[in-house]
Amino acid sequence: MKYDLVIIGAGPAGMCAAIQAASNGARVALVDENPVPGGKLRGQVYKEPKSDWWIGEKIVRSMESKIKQLGVTCFLEREVWGIYPKWKVMLNNGEQLESDFVLIATGAAEKAIPIPGWTTPGVMAIGAAQVLANIQRVKPGNRVAIIGIDALSLTIAYDLKMAGVNVVGIYLPPLNAFSLEKSNPLKMIAYLSSLSHLAPNPMLKLLGKLGQIESVQKLGVNYYPPFGMKVWGIPLHLRKAVVEIIGNEAVEEIVVAAVDQNGQLGRKQEKRIPVDCACISGGLYPLVELANAAGCESVYIEELGGHIPLYNEELETTQSGIFVAGNSTGIEGAKVAMAQGELVGTVISIRLGFVEGGPELIKKAKEKVNLERENAVIKFHPGLENGRAKLERLSRIRE
Amino acid sequence: MIICRCEEVLLRDIITSIENGAETLKAIKMETRAGMGICQGRTCRVLLEQAIAPYTDITIQETNNIMYKNPVRPISLANLSRSGKDSSQ
Ligand SMILES: Cc1cc2nc3c(=O)[nH]c(=O)nc-3n(C[C@H](O)[C@H](O)[C@H](O)COP(=O)(O)OP(=O)(O)OC[C@H]3O[C@@H](n4cnc5c(N)ncnc54)[C@H](O)[C@@H]3O)c2cc1C
Ligand code: FES
Repeated sequence: MKYDLVIIGAGPAGMCAAIQAASNGARVALVDENPVPGGKLRGQVYKEPKSDWWIGEKIVRSMESKIKQLGVTCFLEREVWGIYPKWKVMLNNGEQLESDFVLIATGAAEKAIPIPGWTTPGVMAIGAAQVLANIQRVKPGNRVAIIGIDALSLTIAYDLKMAGVNVVGIYLPPLNAFSLEKSNPLKMIAYLSSLSHLAPNPMLKLLGKLGQIESVQKLGVNYYPPFGMKVWGIPLHLRKAVVEIIGNEAVEEIVVAAVDQNGQLGRKQEKRIPVDCACISGGLYPLVELANAAGCESVYIEELGGHIPLYNEELETTQSGIFVAGNSTGIEGAKVAMAQGELVGTVISIRLGFVEGGPELIKKAKEKVNLERENAVIKFHPGLENGRAKLERLSRIRE
Repeated sequence: MIICRCEEVLLRDIITSIENGAETLKAIKMETRAGMGICQGRTCRVLLEQAIAPYTDITIQETNNIMYKNPVRPISLANLSRSGKDSSQ
């Protein structure tokens, strides 16, 4: 079957691209492995600093009805296993979708931090806890420990608390080849201070303030109370690491040890704390296998999440006709993903000859991406701007 | 400590394979099966990249030498043959 545009991934980026292109008259196919569209947007609920609540599920539902109205063909519960020239998108039921234009909007995956016992049932990635609590409305556990301090884990700690879960504490991971900066108290205080003052929930806001106070940054780690500090009733431990997770059939206990300001373990005794769930937050990385296997050049930019396909200002990769949007371009928030989706939808509509006034429309769509970036409430990496500048340089060199 | 949970490969096994001369993700994979499980490295690939950095002089930037190959997701042989594609193409 031939389409004007095939979109892989029905997260916010893919859905917005579908709406944009289809409303310009393109025949669009939208593929996602899940039974319902929405991607990670479905788990997001928070109060916006200047306006109302951001309720992912609601936004998804309104986009979904638009997609239906516009006659976008949806292939749900279908995984894409490859893209062949030029271009055939392969589905796992044996079907193939043909198009000159393909958008890879496959989002991101979570990175684990291995800790002894991390494969025990009841240990999960922090995002899984968010899906359980916010989407499935199931408590991931009754006494939950969170390991890894970052914007995502703090946001989800708050979500869990709101869902009535007892979050026993947020801890550092142990210092090893996998945790790196995440195990370092000094680096974590600096990180907390970099969190935007526009942070989406009161907890993040408070932490942002805490880190900004100079004295806290200088003295913070040494004087940081050994019992942690409660933020919204959740103890945040910047001087304690979870060194082991214990349990036979399921998680029963975490073993916690004090660390010095560089994250090195002290000689003090370890303490066991009973829990029935442990969530590890190791950060996100863009899902790029499809782009890579299709021959798109990739680059490594840590601030954007790791290996990403090289793309230009219009979000086209080095394979002509294959575009990227959303988290597969680097880790940023949902609104940036949506604006990027619109940009790709616009660019492709113009190339297909469906709309006139190309340069002006593209300029507007690019400006919207930048605006969403400036107003972003969550910054996943403190060096994001740096990473984006690197990418733009590399892309210019390539051209 | 387990690094590749699908194939139950321990950090110790990976270090041993590096000590025995494996330098690339591919060599480690061939020797230990790390990355060859049902998730096809979704969980352990980034960890393997991190694990080899301290033991070799290869940085993470340079480890992108195993290119991903189709199929990037599991597919049954029946459906593969239905699609008429040779996945090695
Ligand atoms: C756990 C988690 C929590 C987050 N919380 C927030 C938050 O609170 N606020 C915020 O602004 N951002 C958050 N983010 C960032 C978030 O990823 C973006 O906000 C946004 O959802 C990215 O949109 P996307 O369209 O790029 O990808 P996604 O929303 O991830 O959608 C990608 C879709 O593609 C599908 N897919 C991937 N590969 C294939 C394939 N081969 N075949 C078929 N389908 C495929 C996936 O199943 C998914 O449905 C979070 C991310 C994660 C992982
Ligand atoms: S964890 Fe290694 S292949 Fe799945």
